[in-house]
Amino acid sequence: MKNKINVYLIEYAINAVLRQKYKSFFIVSVFMLLTFLLTSVFFITNSIKHELESTVDALPQIIVQKIKAGRHYDIDVSSVDGILEIAGVSDAVARVWGYYYFENAGVNFSLVGIEQYEKQYKNSFESIVEKFDLTHNEDDSFMVAGEGVYQTMQQNYYKEYFNFIKPDGTLKKVNLAGVFDSDTNLESNDMIVLSKETLREIFDIPESKATDIVVRVENPQEIQTVASKIKLMYPDTRIVTNQDLKVSYQNIFDYKSGIFLALFIVSLFTFFIIIYDKSSGLSNEEKREIGILKAVGWTVDDVLKEKFYESFIISFFAYTLGVGLALAYVYLFQAPLLRDVFVGYSQLKTRFELPFVFDFQTLFLVFLLSVPIYIAATIIPSWKVATLEADEVIR
Amino acid sequence: MFIKKIVIFITILLFASLSLSAGTFTKSASSEPVLVQKGDEKHWCCVCGMNLKMFYKTSHASKSDDDTHRQYCSMRCLAVDMDTHPIDVNEIQVVDASTQKLIKAKTAFYVLGSTVEGTMSKVSKFAFASQSDAKNFVKEYKGQIVDFESALKNAKESLVSDTEMITAKKTKKIYPMGQTIFEKMCLLDIDINKYGAINELKSALQNKKLCKPLKEQQLQAVALYLWELKRFGDLEKTNGKIQVTEEEKCPVCGMFIYKYPKWAAQIFYEINKKEHRYSFDGVKDLMKFYFNPAEWGNYEVKTKGDITKILVTDYYSQKAIEAKKAYFVLGSDVYGPMGNELIPFENENDAQTFYKDHRGSKLIKFEEITPQEVSKLDE
Repeated sequence: MKNKINVYLIEYAINAVLRQKYKSFFIVSVFMLLTFLLTSVFFITNSIKHELESTVDALPQIIVQKIKAGRHYDIDVSSVDGILEIAGVSDAVARVWGYYYFENAGVNFSLVGIEQYEKQYKNSFESIVEKFDLTHNEDDSFMVAGEGVYQTMQQNYYKEYFNFIKPDGTLKKVNLAGVFDSDTNLESNDMIVLSKETLREIFDIPESKATDIVVRVENPQEIQTVASKIKLMYPDTRIVTNQDLKVSYQNIFDYKSGIFLALFIVSLFTFFIIIYDKSSGLSNEEKREIGILKAVGWTVDDVLKEKFYESFIISFFAYTLGVGLALAYVYLFQAPLLRDVFVGYSQLKTRFELPFVFDFQTLFLVFLLSVPIYIAATIIPSWKVATLEADEVIR
Repeated sequence: MFIKKIVIFITILLFASLSLSAGTFTKSASSEPVLVQKGDEKHWCCVCGMNLKMFYKTSHASKSDDDTHRQYCSMRCLAVDMDTHPIDVNEIQVVDASTQKLIKAKTAFYVLGSTVEGTMSKVSKFAFASQSDAKNFVKEYKGQIVDFESALKNAKESLVSDTEMITAKKTKKIYPMGQTIFEKMCLLDIDINKYGAINELKSALQNKKLCKPLKEQQLQAVALYLWELKRFGDLEKTNGKIQVTEEEKCPVCGMFIYKYPKWAAQIFYEINKKEHRYSFDGVKDLMKFYFNPAEWGNYEVKTKGDITKILVTDYYSQKAIEAKKAYFVLGSDVYGPMGNELIPFENENDAQTFYKDHRGSKLIKFEEITPQEVSKLDE
């Protein structure tokens, strides 16, 4: 049988690999490093992309902000009434939110106000309202904090409450009702959720004003029409649709991907130099080996098969090792160093887990880029030598 | 002596600055308001249930023939009430926006359309006993001075559009909110029909402990939900989206429906006491099937008489609606999965808006749809 795998050839190939210990070791380590680098980069980008996309999908469809003198300004709550009148709008919520700088830890908290009985514009708030009672009283206010905020508070001896400094310098004590975790950590880690009244008191925002208005449109096809109608109705506003947000998030991400592209090109270049060096000719020793094998009675076919096994064993071993290492590095150790390149736009250093996203395509791409090329680079020069007469080679 | 002068000067300055910062005009009463209604319900408008103290400066009061006093949050509610109650126009009183006393409306000077927001109306109406007060008000907040008759006429004319604005807000926001508060905070066995007006209900909710203590806004939401919705049934919960399984294909074009939930439409037939349902990826295909089922294959459907109901998806709300009550826009610039479409709407206003926004060529009801009209869409 022609196609049957020759076990002796494989045995010989393994022995050949083991014989040239240092050379094999060198090739495996370079090869492994390359696949490791490439796959971990792909893993990280995929994970963050996944995280971002789920964050963006949870964003409101239209955000209406008042712009005064080119800056974001508090919007009138009564604008909600006008927006609700537009056909296609199913809900409009006046949001109250902002950033609170906590000087002791040098971090920003994002404070979000919600109204208990309103239809929430975010699913995660719905569960917060279900679980916690955020009533606001004169002397008793409650908040729910994200995991990151909670840790920061613990480190600063705020176990059960937090004192916010109001604009007039007095303190507002808010009790901690609980800690929440959302499906995506990227958005909620630095977040504190309180009732709108409490937040109005902390930021000194009057009852008639809100930070911005989010609009829900049932039919996504109508978002553009609704957005332009709002713009006509309130010319002093800036309308941001979720499509715009997606683009700007993508821009941040693409910019950071550029750094990776540079890394990618450099490593690929290194790889191809090695390949070029290898394919440009065999060493005398290797030529002799092929000559002797032929003299012993091996056919060209046998030689090529053996070379194929040899290179496949080396490259595949290195490839799996690299991928395995990358998996462990990214998902087990959460990619120290490398991921800092990507995650740098949040105020509180977000401690979030990279979600496990297994992308078969990228693995296949890395495989195609490395293994077959390496095999080809070994076989082609061997074939050149193997087709020559044995005595010619040995001589 | 000198110090005294400084103190006086400073107090004058303070007062001056206070009166200057009156740019934020509030409609609420600055002192205890005059309430003419009797009982605990006197704090609220008898038509809309809003708090009279909060909207005191636009408040009106009336006297019926049988000597009952009624008080309203605004001229809009007065205009609404005039349709149903015998009200003596000569007895109508209004709050003077500057002195905050009740005065005769007939002789008052009304400022129409100032920059201050109106109560339940897009055009605000404030009354003054003296013309000079009215002129001062106009100086600061613009608007024009008219008499009672023309103000009332304006209120009646804008009633339709004002009600539209209020209804939009109520259905999209206040009723759902009122419902959640009601279910969480109130006794669920309230007999609404016991109360004659919304303000009676409101005072009962607050004073008879039917609900846990609520803020004014929340109380208003609950009262509106109970008074205007629960009294006549409930929020239509069945009005969900059209449900289709992943196997269902359109009998006309053969496409899977679940991929185009925005356009789903269904006909329900009853044949031999069994319900058959056919789903379509658009009203156009549904109509083709409706007119001639035999053309699209060997279906059991024989006559239109077997149809139990036809459901289509409202373009704006994405809810399932009865096709026979719906309005359809043809020839717009919005395309469905099968190209040109008949786009369904639950109410005519929405259809009109869509017709204008998306350059529709025709707005018709279900009965007016003809096979010719449908086949023209495919050209």
